[in-house]
Amino acid sequence: MKQFVSDRKSRTPAILSFAVIALFYVLVFIAEQHLPSTSMLFTVLKKGATYALVAVSMNLLNGFTGIFSLGQAGFMLIGAYTYAIFTIPLDQRAAVYQYFQGGAVQFSVPVPVALIFAGLAAAFFAFLIGLPVLRLKSDYLAIATLGFAEIIRAIFQWNQLGPITNGSNMLRMFPNFNDFNIRNDAGEVTVYLSTTIPFVISGVCIALIVLLIHSGYGRAFKAIRDDEIAAEAMGINLAHHKQLAFSISSFFAGVGGAMLAMYQTTVQAKSFTSAMTYEILLIVVIGGVGSVTGSVFSSFLFVACSEWWLRFLDEKQMIGTFEVPLLRNGFRLVVFSVIIMIVVLFFRRGIMGTKELPDLFRRKTKEGIK
Amino acid sequence: MENNILRIEHLTMQFGGVVAVNDLSMEINRGEIVALIGPNGAGKTTAFNCVTGVYEPTNGQILFCGRQIARSSPTGKMRKMYAGNDASAFVGDSVRLSPDHVTKLGIARTFQNIRLFSGMTVFDNVLTAKHLRRKSNFLVSTLHLNYAEEKRMREETWELLKAVHLLDVADEMATSLPYGKQRLLEIARALATKPTLLLLDEPAAGMNPQETEELSAFIRQIKDEFQLSIFIIEHHMNLVMDISDRIYVIDFGRLIASGVPAEIQNNPAVIEAYLGGEDQ
Repeated sequence: MKQFVSDRKSRTPAILSFAVIALFYVLVFIAEQHLPSTSMLFTVLKKGATYALVAVSMNLLNGFTGIFSLGQAGFMLIGAYTYAIFTIPLDQRAAVYQYFQGGAVQFSVPVPVALIFAGLAAAFFAFLIGLPVLRLKSDYLAIATLGFAEIIRAIFQWNQLGPITNGSNMLRMFPNFNDFNIRNDAGEVTVYLSTTIPFVISGVCIALIVLLIHSGYGRAFKAIRDDEIAAEAMGINLAHHKQLAFSISSFFAGVGGAMLAMYQTTVQAKSFTSAMTYEILLIVVIGGVGSVTGSVFSSFLFVACSEWWLRFLDEKQMIGTFEVPLLRNGFRLVVFSVIIMIVVLFFRRGIMGTKELPDLFRRKTKEGIK
Repeated sequence: MENNILRIEHLTMQFGGVVAVNDLSMEINRGEIVALIGPNGAGKTTAFNCVTGVYEPTNGQILFCGRQIARSSPTGKMRKMYAGNDASAFVGDSVRLSPDHVTKLGIARTFQNIRLFSGMTVFDNVLTAKHLRRKSNFLVSTLHLNYAEEKRMREETWELLKAVHLLDVADEMATSLPYGKQRLLEIARALATKPTLLLLDEPAAGMNPQETEELSAFIRQIKDEFQLSIFIIEHHMNLVMDISDRIYVIDFGRLIASGVPAEIQNNPAVIEAYLGGEDQ
């Protein structure tokens, strides 16, 4: 029996995947040391890493547990605020909370602790909101979670909570990605880490989600996705497992929110709109509902297209003396929408379907043998 | 210790104005194969769903190994509409267990219309059904620190697949199997929850005579191998008469006969309600 279990699947694809990912990390690190830090590449990589984590956390719910939730922006907001509130340096609080006498929170914690706080706060809210909301199915659940996200956004801007949330004013001065760069005494950067660290945070979180998906609990989630009635008849407690998936997903959305705060260097509740959730939903769908690799891949693709590669469409372009027609502010979004429609039309199940990175190597090796 | 493993007492299930099951009382002894038969729409699957906790009975109680798994009497609006048997006996404390809880106690089931986990392989389908006996929490599980437990579950799954002759298709997607094998897989998955009572809802539906014959041998085999009691709903009379120790017959939700196969075959009420009504 034993050799059956271990011999069945070749380990090569998994090792190859690890190698590819490791190589990518090394490349990012090297690029960061040698390219100018103002390059658009790093903006895309940082935001891409952030969105990748949030997209994977959403995929854990939508793709692996079959819970259609649209509350992601809300949980990101909670994470971003928690992170910011707990990390603004004490001497800056008076300036940040200028309308609220320096705010109510008078201590700060190290960045890693604050990241975990951000996740826990989001998970806690998810647990509470999950109690009533997870009884709902599909569309109704989506509407309820969307409503929740909007309510959270309003509450965080409420003036009465000002001493904590700074009302509708922005939170700033907290450590951002650039503070990860190692500087010498003269203040010059010796080792650039402002892109590598977000990759590490995001990578660790996504690795944890992948481990969860491949554990017994992950199988139980998939069982609920495939057939709720059968899952329950096989002894899987639906309420408990849905609650668990919802809280875990929100935990990572919270961490992702904290990363977004670091990326933006400021946080303001009004920017966490439902449009943000839709962006992430779009990433998940384009990457493939039920594929972690797809979500990660399409995050970078999405961010690169929207922030970088299609920028030229917003400006006047001259080829020789010929002015290309139609190109003006806003045209980028038109092209972008068309591309998305094409992707959805030709890749019905997203770019990756339900395949993961090791599956790509598996197919290749099989073809090689044939 | 009581000899009967399942005991249904005066079970009534009413949906709106329709009494689907009316005053059904029956029991299943340890090691028995008991069949519940009746024409289409007689209320067989409804009775199953009451036992497994999918429905809350309108009236009556169900005991599993002497323990109440369901007990209720008409409440609310149903008190006025109620059209079943005498409801006074079960007034008071009601008991309702969710389906997953019932399964944990040791009642596993299959479905009339196959309900496999379509996105998973055959192996994972069975392995997933072992989840309910898991001791490790999600953190331990995520970090894969429960190596011994996971390994044991995998080995048990291989053995189970071997016992039901599905070893060679273990890596196939569950939905790519031929119909007959999907039925076998459903039984294997139910067995993975380590039940003492197995409920089979029309396991031979859609099978040809030869497959049906194999199925009856198979049911006997798993009954002995896993020390089960089996409660079966079936339309194939050959199968029912072949494997059942005792048979209950219901029509329009009411019990009309019970006894060993020979008695049922010659019971005029059964012939009229069931065989006469449908087959000729």
